[in-house]
Amino acid sequence: MGEFKVHRVRFFNYVPSGIRCVAYNDQSNRLAVSRTDGTVEIYNLSANYFQEKFFPGHESRATEALCWAKGQRLFSAGLNGEIIEYDLQALNIKYAMDAFGGPIWSMAASPSGSQLLVGCEDGSVKLFQVTPEKIQFERNFDRQKSRILSLSWHPSGTHVAAGSIDYISVFDVKSGSAIHKMLVDRQYMGVSKRKCIIWGVAFLSDGTVISVDSAGKVQFWDSATGTLVKNHLIANADVQSIAVSDQEDSFVVGTAEGTVFHFQLVSVTSNSSEKQWVRTKPFQHHTHDVRAVAHSPTALISGGTDTHLVIRPLMEKVEVKNYDAALRKITFPHRRLVSCAKKRQLLLFQFAHHLELWRLGSTVATGKNGDTLPLSKDADHLLHLKAKGPENIICSCISPCGSWIAYSTTSRFFLYRLNHEHDNISLQRVSKMPAFLRSALQILFSEDSTKLFVASNQGSLHVIRLLEGSFKHLHTFQPQSGTVESMCLLAVSPDGNWLAASGTSAGVHVYSVKHLKLHCTVPAYNFPVTALAIAPNTNNLVIAHSDQQVFEYSIPDKQYTEWSRTIQKQGFHHLWLQRDTPITHISFHPKRPMHILLHDAYMFCIIDKSLPLPNDKTLLYNPLPPTNESDVIRRRTAHAFKISKIYKPLLFMELLDERTLVAVERPLDDIIAQLPPPIKKKKFGT
Amino acid sequence: MVQLRPRASRAPASASAMVDEGQPASEEAAEHGLLLGQPSSGAAAEPLEEDEEGDDEDDEAPEELTFASAQAEAKEEERRVRDTVRRDKTLLKEKRKRREELFIEQKKRKLLPDTILEKLTTASQTNLKKSPGKLKEVNLQKKNEDFEKGSDSKKAKVQKVQTVGQNKSYLALRLKDQDLRDSRQQAAKAFIQNCLYGPGTNRTTVNKFLSLENKRLPVKKAAAQFLNHAWGSQKKQNAKRFKRRWMVRKMKASKK
Repeated sequence: MGEFKVHRVRFFNYVPSGIRCVAYNDQSNRLAVSRTDGTVEIYNLSANYFQEKFFPGHESRATEALCWAKGQRLFSAGLNGEIIEYDLQALNIKYAMDAFGGPIWSMAASPSGSQLLVGCEDGSVKLFQVTPEKIQFERNFDRQKSRILSLSWHPSGTHVAAGSIDYISVFDVKSGSAIHKMLVDRQYMGVSKRKCIIWGVAFLSDGTVISVDSAGKVQFWDSATGTLVKNHLIANADVQSIAVSDQEDSFVVGTAEGTVFHFQLVSVTSNSSEKQWVRTKPFQHHTHDVRAVAHSPTALISGGTDTHLVIRPLMEKVEVKNYDAALRKITFPHRRLVSCAKKRQLLLFQFAHHLELWRLGSTVATGKNGDTLPLSKDADHLLHLKAKGPENIICSCISPCGSWIAYSTTSRFFLYRLNHEHDNISLQRVSKMPAFLRSALQILFSEDSTKLFVASNQGSLHVIRLLEGSFKHLHTFQPQSGTVESMCLLAVSPDGNWLAASGTSAGVHVYSVKHLKLHCTVPAYNFPVTALAIAPNTNNLVIAHSDQQVFEYSIPDKQYTEWSRTIQKQGFHHLWLQRDTPITHISFHPKRPMHILLHDAYMFCIIDKSLPLPNDKTLLYNPLPPTNESDVIRRRTAHAFKISKIYKPLLFMELLDERTLVAVERPLDDIIAQLPPPIKKKKFGT
Repeated sequence: MVQLRPRASRAPASASAMVDEGQPASEEAAEHGLLLGQPSSGAAAEPLEEDEEGDDEDDEAPEELTFASAQAEAKEEERRVRDTVRRDKTLLKEKRKRREELFIEQKKRKLLPDTILEKLTTASQTNLKKSPGKLKEVNLQKKNEDFEKGSDSKKAKVQKVQTVGQNKSYLALRLKDQDLRDSRQQAAKAFIQNCLYGPGTNRTTVNKFLSLENKRLPVKKAAAQFLNHAWGSQKKQNAKRFKRRWMVRKMKASKK
């Protein structure tokens, strides 16, 4: 494999934003997650829980509610008073409609999916009709005294329960009048000065309304009479979210202490028909408030202020007990946020509203395997570039020579020229970027930094030639056959002849940059692509998918390579396929064409194509045995996949030159240290 | 003591007597009341006679006034008062009307011309799909300034309402809506912040939270964030600056 000096970088201060709402769509098995900075991410739960789409956030958009309506339409509502519909094909926002009720606190789609109910700050509940193109305001229900914080439809669509501050109202949908007003105690068996906030309500088909509130109670109400049936005190802090399954035999609640409780409808004795709700399982996977929960047919999904998305499959619902039934915790991003200028040893970090440019430190010391070498020159923070405007940065890139920086937001595209004089840099903005470059999903520079490739969310690919202080638009590759398909990932060959682009559904397209036309298309695979790269010299395209499959496709020959066919026939090692996190970056060694370097969040691996492939019986993760072992044993256990788990959690790993690697790590403790305060836990002895 | 006026003659009232009418009404009423009341006791009659006798100039008997005439005079008085009040009111109304018209004139001058307002109302009825990407924000600000003929426009966040006309080269904006919306959004955010992190909630710092386990170990470890790197930042900066200056001085001294 060779010896490498590794730059361990820990100064990327990446802190993801907390999860605010979660919405599960049953038909497509997709999960929409919205975060506190306004980003909405779509996870495909059947594609190994991969984040396939995302909508960048906005500073003024404080999303408070998210829901799916009929026909796979996604709506969100927030404190700026607008209802936003997202276009899932074109990956942009279709429109934003003002509800004229002040900040919107809650939103619920009717069971049929054709109506939308919105609860506002001024106490009004507004009904909207979902038309094929837009939504249309229908009418207002009776106005209540305080803000409507949670809404729930009865499965038949005739009644609605709305939770507010200190009371719950039950509305009749046809007339719009409030039938019952149920007053909630401020504290379980007691009085309190703090008002009781009803964070969540759920309406069951037998007329039971379940409410969770800030006093830590879960209460069952009878909506026909408007009375309290049962009262459970489950936490000392707020219970902030509730989600009921479709069969209505179980529901899940999330508390501010980070605990998620599972309630199930079980029969009172083993053969009686009478059933009651019993709290069955507590899960403690979070450290901070759990502000959103969802219940899919087989799993409990929770997300909160500690930024993890936890998917817990329920054992009794899972049919096949394999690795699919394990807990999944999604913490690190599924996209690359770091780009590297190899020649000048510069790293560009992408944050939500700014970019940071760092130069790596250097050392003159040498050592043996496993030593930590002292730095003779520290890493240098060269540039802190703030993005203009309230929108989040979608993607960014630095050219390999380090003289161009480009980033894109939803409405604008920015290109900067960097001049390096000795140790200082100066920045110069290239003005008058064309309008079609905005809202780019991926930006890539060619190896010699003369061309810029931009993949927009409309499905088209733009090629721009970069000149000394300006640019020239060379060509645009349009999407085929009128489909709007956003191009998510790009890869360019080191000799500059080939450009590979992957969309969300059709296969990977390979374009010839010299002739400016489509060269070939890799056959489509039913799992999304997570990483793409083209090898130097051989021009083999290496594709990694979200189910941990790795393909190698030869571009000049227009077919899969021999090695790829061999490994597909044999299949990957079962431990390789059971990895949780997707491969986010692939790179190559300039002098060793048989090596592929790839990494995911918890390991990095060098695949040596010349060595034999492991079968299921061999040990996958075999670190180098000590040298006093005989050569025979070493040869027996050597296989193509050299995996190292020394550096984790990895955000980025790249080969800088023949003997240097850079690994950008982000320890979980550093993220937790910057989160908002959690609820106090009193432990005996402290 | 009632103040007596010069006595009027019994003859039909002369012009001079007509002048001070304010007083006769009251005093006649008073006399009248005495006549009517007619206790006619000595005590009541006495002061009259005294006054009469005290008055040397006019030795005549008090005049006799009938009820009808007194009533007529009183009515006259009231009518005159009412008239003045009515006149005052109408004058005031006129003034106010004129002022209103003046204001409306001024406002009209300040507002947009009618043609553009018409376009606005018709455009609001048609269902125009809002395409935020078509108009760059930079152009938006410039066009806004050109459009609002000299009226001061706030540079801070403007709210797009709708596109006007077919040529989408400018936008009509309502600035005061944005302030209202912002303040409500701030109030909502403050409410949530207060509910979750305000007083009465049982919150603790992340450091204490993570160090809880360290405290219960058999060998107690330090807290998770034991060092406070933000301590004495000003002192450290000063020290760095001083060190740099000292080095420069040393170099200069060593060169010499």
